[in-house]
Amino acid sequence: MVMAEGTAVLRQNRPGTKAQYIQQNIRADCSNIDKILEPPEGQDEGVWKYEHLRQFCLELNGLAVKLQSECHSDTCTQMTATEQWIFLCAAHKTPKECPAIDYTRHTLDGAACLLNSNKYFPSRVSIKESSVAKLGSVCCRIYRIFSHAYFHHRQIFDEYENETFLCHRFTKFVMKYNLMSKDNLIVPILEEEVQNSVSGKVKHEGNHIEKTY
Amino acid sequence: MDEQAGPGVFFSNNHPAAGGAKGLGPLAEAAAAGDGVAAAGAARAQYSLPGILHFLQHEWARFEVERAQWEVERAELQAQIAFLQGERKGQENLKKDLVRRIKMLEYALKQERAKYHKLKYGTELNQGDMKPPSYDSDEGNETEVQPQQNSQLMWKQGRQLLRQYLQEVGYTDTILDVKSKRVRALLGFSSDVTDREDDKNQDSVINGTEAEVKETAMIGKSELTDSASVLENFKFLESAAADFSDEDEDDDIDGREKSIIDTSTIVRKKVLPDSSEDRDTKEALKEFDFLVTSEEGDNDSRSAGDGTDWEKEDQCLMPEAWNVDQGVITKLKEQYKKERKGKKGVKRKTTEDLFQPLSYIKQSKQGCGRMKHQSTGPNRSKLQDMLANLRDVDELPSLQPSVGSPSRPSSSRLPEHEINRADEVEALTFPPSSGKSFIMGADEALESELGLGELAGLTVANEADSLTYDIANNKDALRKTWNPKFTLRSHFDGIRALAFHPTEPVLITASEDHTLKMWNLQKTAPAKKSTSLDVEPIYTFRAHKGPVLCVVMSSSGEQCYSGGADGLIQSWNTTNPNIDPYDSYDPSVLRGPLLGHTDAVWGLAYSAAHQRLLSCSADGTLRLWNTTEVAPALSVFNDNQELGVPASVDLVSSDPSHMVASFSKGYTSIFNMETQQRILTLESNLDSTANSSCQINRVISHPTLPISITAHEDRHIKFYDNNTGKLIHSMVAHLEAVTSLAVDPNGLYLMSGSHDCSIRLWNLESKTCIQEFTAHRKKFEESIHDVAFHPSKCYIASAGADALAKVFV
Repeated sequence: MVMAEGTAVLRQNRPGTKAQYIQQNIRADCSNIDKILEPPEGQDEGVWKYEHLRQFCLELNGLAVKLQSECHSDTCTQMTATEQWIFLCAAHKTPKECPAIDYTRHTLDGAACLLNSNKYFPSRVSIKESSVAKLGSVCCRIYRIFSHAYFHHRQIFDEYENETFLCHRFTKFVMKYNLMSKDNLIVPILEEEVQNSVSGKVKHEGNHIEKTY
Repeated sequence: MDEQAGPGVFFSNNHPAAGGAKGLGPLAEAAAAGDGVAAAGAARAQYSLPGILHFLQHEWARFEVERAQWEVERAELQAQIAFLQGERKGQENLKKDLVRRIKMLEYALKQERAKYHKLKYGTELNQGDMKPPSYDSDEGNETEVQPQQNSQLMWKQGRQLLRQYLQEVGYTDTILDVKSKRVRALLGFSSDVTDREDDKNQDSVINGTEAEVKETAMIGKSELTDSASVLENFKFLESAAADFSDEDEDDDIDGREKSIIDTSTIVRKKVLPDSSEDRDTKEALKEFDFLVTSEEGDNDSRSAGDGTDWEKEDQCLMPEAWNVDQGVITKLKEQYKKERKGKKGVKRKTTEDLFQPLSYIKQSKQGCGRMKHQSTGPNRSKLQDMLANLRDVDELPSLQPSVGSPSRPSSSRLPEHEINRADEVEALTFPPSSGKSFIMGADEALESELGLGELAGLTVANEADSLTYDIANNKDALRKTWNPKFTLRSHFDGIRALAFHPTEPVLITASEDHTLKMWNLQKTAPAKKSTSLDVEPIYTFRAHKGPVLCVVMSSSGEQCYSGGADGLIQSWNTTNPNIDPYDSYDPSVLRGPLLGHTDAVWGLAYSAAHQRLLSCSADGTLRLWNTTEVAPALSVFNDNQELGVPASVDLVSSDPSHMVASFSKGYTSIFNMETQQRILTLESNLDSTANSSCQINRVISHPTLPISITAHEDRHIKFYDNNTGKLIHSMVAHLEAVTSLAVDPNGLYLMSGSHDCSIRLWNLESKTCIQEFTAHRKKFEESIHDVAFHPSKCYIASAGADALAKVFV
């Protein structure tokens, strides 16, 4: 009704127009990942990455909502994916071992604060060099939500993935822009597409548990 | 014979000793040969060589003496010249230093302006050349003559500008002149010139000299201690610098005042962050400042009058400083800040702060001046008369005494002032009340008049009618202009709706990013920029699977309800506003969904009386829910789609069993919730072939009157009477579709938001726009989705499609 459908015209590079563009493409076909990830001509890469990350955080809400029903603090007491790593929540003054659902929420909230903060991202048309590094760390943490969902709440993950192809898109996104090291991409999602040993990196090294945040 | 007698006589007179007989011999003979007169010859016989010699010697001695004298004189004169030259050089150097300083400050000012502009508008201010100034030694000489003329010119331009603005407002020249004349008459101003500029020029010159005269006379005054240094500067300036003329009435006061002004230009420190005002217009406006009233309400009056005035003027901002009365100024500022309602924050704030110390100093000076000149009599009596007139008007708001101010300054500088004011207070018996009412009453039409608020106050007898207007308004604190305070950034997508907590400074925003966020406005993040504080959300509510379109809070604030595009209404227990944002997840926050609607829920309304929730949805139905339990709807108003799809719903405040709903086809109806019957359809000028632009986006019910207000896609806002259904008033409110409406809890103001990126504040009685802010950027051609007033505190908020929510105070 009031919410007008945007036209497919790419508007001038005003703040927030990238978001519109991305959202248009997603609405058009959410499985056409390449089209969604492909920046328009002359687009500043930093801004493009930033806007995509915003969109990922936005869409991850959906996964979080689904997880809320199944992932309880007494069943998943720590944020883990495989047995090797325990992820500590960075949203606190000192990194804390939050239960998985808390980790998910805090990470998303923290990402929202960071990506919207005036200090690091004062403008949506140009990204400071120093802030580009932040995007990488946000990506790492966001990815862990995917990995926890994959390994511990497989059904929810599959359901959500079929609707939105979000993990596919995210994985491609971080690889395309080198925002994360490939070692960290532990969700075996692109085995058929990626030649390198992403899928083989899932380690099961016994009881050796490492913590990271 | 005569000729010869002359020299002979002369010689004989001078040289009685006729020693030069020999020398004179030939002369005498020659003379004797000439006429042969014995007497002459005897006289001439006195010409003697020695005599001549002696004469010559004497003369020469005289000449020598004189020459010596001349030499001495010359030496003296040269010494004087050297001294004067030295002095001149010294003064030139001083002037150069001051010019340098001015340049430095101007540069700093430009930077501040740029910063401010960048902050405010997010873009760079094109100021041209912003290099740091170069301090050439030659520049001073060349520009010596120029500044004088320039300043005069600038000053004149400033006044012209001011006049122009006043005229824009509707204040014609005649009124201005009349008022100024009146004021002068009141203040015992002898000269009654129409052209104030000339007057000023004269005055300034006169004042300059008089200032020096008066200074000595005023030495006894304790005030002088702080202004003495000022005066010294002033005297120097008088001799050297440009003439910033000023219209002053009381001479000594003016002299000192002017000195203060001048020194302020010289010693410009940054007192107020981001405070500034165009100097010329400020000075031009100073003529309005000589209000002979002891009210401190002037400050408020100026605050009221200031808003739109400065809104129009795209003033450059300059830091201004007062190196006198600093303590007083800070106290004034504090008080001002407490009472301040600033619009466009910075600009108003500056003018306020500037005029406050100005007026205060002026008043204080005038106070002392009065004591000195004993001219209080006529002034006071005139004021008294006016006030007597005022008091006769019904329901006249009482006036704030100036006792507030005497209590404030702790310095002993102004003891006489205090006493004076206290006397005046007693004499005039101002009952304590909001002082701004005094001025503002007459100020309605003049609200954009800055200092004329005071002038209006002076001439209030003629405008007593408009006094009644502001009475009700003054009782609540909303008669003010709003200033952006907080920017809430945390959503990833446009914010669709917001709701304030009924009592706490807490806001909940509902966004298209499927979340709702709760914000505590008292927990501001340490923001770098001072103009708008950043707030971080305390809690994020996640449960919707689609954009959240509307949110309401219960009357206790314990629960809130949100409707989304997924057709669900989620019911939440709102968390404590003081929790840690990164606390563990508490599943009990989500009470559960209210199921029933099959399509997006666009509007919600909460009924405190019955603890019920009303919702309207794109599926064409309106549903009533019992909020005490999460259960299916109590009743469904399926309007059979005859009126269209409901876009908005609200409860009729004057009748708790009624609700008003507006539909996409342009109709608005009132329903009885008990009987589920449609009571009446409000009048709308629609024909059967209604086009799409008649869609009504919001309907709200006035909190006290039986009026419904609707916001239309065709830019109108319409007012309907609930009882008769008639259209009371219709106005074109915005440049694009009006998307949201909110009425303040007292029912006096209406706020409307629109896709043209502006929020407008309307006075409900006069249906005029009081204030407009531009906020939010456009996304997908949409801009502002929702606006809201806080039910009990002084906040208004706007929700934007740019994922920001802004809170104004």
